[in-house]
Amino acid sequence: MAEEMTQEQARIEPSSGVRAVAREELSKRRIWVPLIRVAVIGGFLGLWEAASTWWMEPFLISSPSRIVNSMIQGFQSGDLMHNTWVTFQEIAIGFPVGAICGIALGFSFGRSKNLAEIFEPIIIALNGIPRTALAPLFIVWLGIGLWSKVGVVFLLTFFLNFFNTYAGMRQMDQEYVDLARLMGAGRWKLTFRVILPAIAPYMFTGIRTSIPFSVIGAIVGEFVAATEGLGFFIRMSAGLFRTADVFVGIIVLMFMVIAMDKIAEMIERKALRWQARTDHVTIQG
Amino acid sequence: MEQDDPLSESGIVTLETVVREPGANAPVIKVENATKAFLTPDQGAMVALQDINLDIPYGEFVTVVGPSGCGKSTLLKLIAGLTPLSGGRILYQGAEILGLNTKVGYVPQESKLFPWLNLEENVAFGLDKKRYPRQQREQQARHFIKLAGLTGFEKYYPAQLSGGMGKRASIVRALAYEPPVILMDEPFGPLDAQTRMILQDELLKIWEQKRQTIVFVTHDLVEAVALADRIVVMTHRPGRIKDVLRVGMKRPRDIFEIHRQDGFDRAYGRLWNIFRHELNIKRA
Repeated sequence: MAEEMTQEQARIEPSSGVRAVAREELSKRRIWVPLIRVAVIGGFLGLWEAASTWWMEPFLISSPSRIVNSMIQGFQSGDLMHNTWVTFQEIAIGFPVGAICGIALGFSFGRSKNLAEIFEPIIIALNGIPRTALAPLFIVWLGIGLWSKVGVVFLLTFFLNFFNTYAGMRQMDQEYVDLARLMGAGRWKLTFRVILPAIAPYMFTGIRTSIPFSVIGAIVGEFVAATEGLGFFIRMSAGLFRTADVFVGIIVLMFMVIAMDKIAEMIERKALRWQARTDHVTIQG
Repeated sequence: MEQDDPLSESGIVTLETVVREPGANAPVIKVENATKAFLTPDQGAMVALQDINLDIPYGEFVTVVGPSGCGKSTLLKLIAGLTPLSGGRILYQGAEILGLNTKVGYVPQESKLFPWLNLEENVAFGLDKKRYPRQQREQQARHFIKLAGLTGFEKYYPAQLSGGMGKRASIVRALAYEPPVILMDEPFGPLDAQTRMILQDELLKIWEQKRQTIVFVTHDLVEAVALADRIVVMTHRPGRIKDVLRVGMKRPRDIFEIHRQDGFDRAYGRLWNIFRHELNIKRA
């Protein structure tokens, strides 16, 4: 018993020598991985700049220097900030509401067989509609202001979260539920200490895959009809052949998605710290 | 199980105190003509258990042996109230089990620790209904973690524990809230022989201290003899009770030298005879 114990401890806490070697390998990787990454990005930007100077029309492809200039101007005039704020609002309302509704419905479907059997075909049929095609309808129903875009964002977010949460509920191990109930867990404890943690990996997959889609929803809504917002800004700039501004809009959107994903990733990491993480599967031989 | 005093209904109130006493004659679990049939995918019925009759007195260590698929696990699920009976009834402290039987602890085949809770939270999971003050709750959890030899691993998540450690944790999780009856479904099945013996030894040691009623399902004949006061032998589908053997070995027992202990050979021999018989029938 005592011997078994020390073996287990040895497995969990490697000796200092082993750790030093591992650390050295890690620090080497830490240098060359970002180095190559920077080189790739730098090379691409350099090629782009060169192409627009010598080989192609700048109004077609713009160039990194022009884009930086436009961006600075956009921020200085406050125009870009305003449009970004408008788009951000649409997402900030539509995304969480869509995610929460999707998760709640997925959870209810998982809990109630009747609900699932009645509504599942209906939901699947609705999911078959290309949802961006509904954007014009939302404009008709909710006007060209904020709420029509919130509607599109909601729609795109909702289904992804619903399907992922529902998938999580269907693979939920009944034995965990049985054990918890035998140990006296009531409805609340069962929901918050057992079921939600068990399906959390699925919920986070839903949330993280729906992040870029929520941004797509906002932009599509703005493409259809709007007087402000990044989608409007991009469309208008393209119409005026201000290619650099188009790229500015795209870049801001990209950073929006990255920022949202990073926040979601942070929360996920914290919430799922119990998971044994496999970053890469190593196949030997 | 909804009523605190199930016996008052039948008018035997006076028995109440006697009934709860370990070793008293009234059984803690009484299985009467229990039958369980499952629907097969082609709409037929498969009888898993047929006419099971079994009395389990307080504080007894009962093992249930039989070939795989004989309905051993189903019997445990019925006692726990996890699945409804098709016929007959099961009484717990004199009251028929109609819903979930939260008076029993359950140790499943795999550890099934909640992976999102750390070791301490897992072991303390069943303590909530006891409404202990925080300090006592913590003490109780630590006490059982220590019994399992896992002190120092309180904050570890199940994924960070080895198979044997997880198994021990799974057992003390069921013990920690001190249910009078513990159902174990081949808990040592997937372990290697050494770890298995160590855990059997630890289980017996814990049981010697607490003397709960244990119903332990296994397909290992040596394990069945080594642990049990009584062995329930079951037959293949439909599962019936073939025989019940009393193991006449004194306690405490030494698991590591179990073969040399007085009475082991006799008990094992009788058990093996029954099984050999069973095998012959199937061959014919």
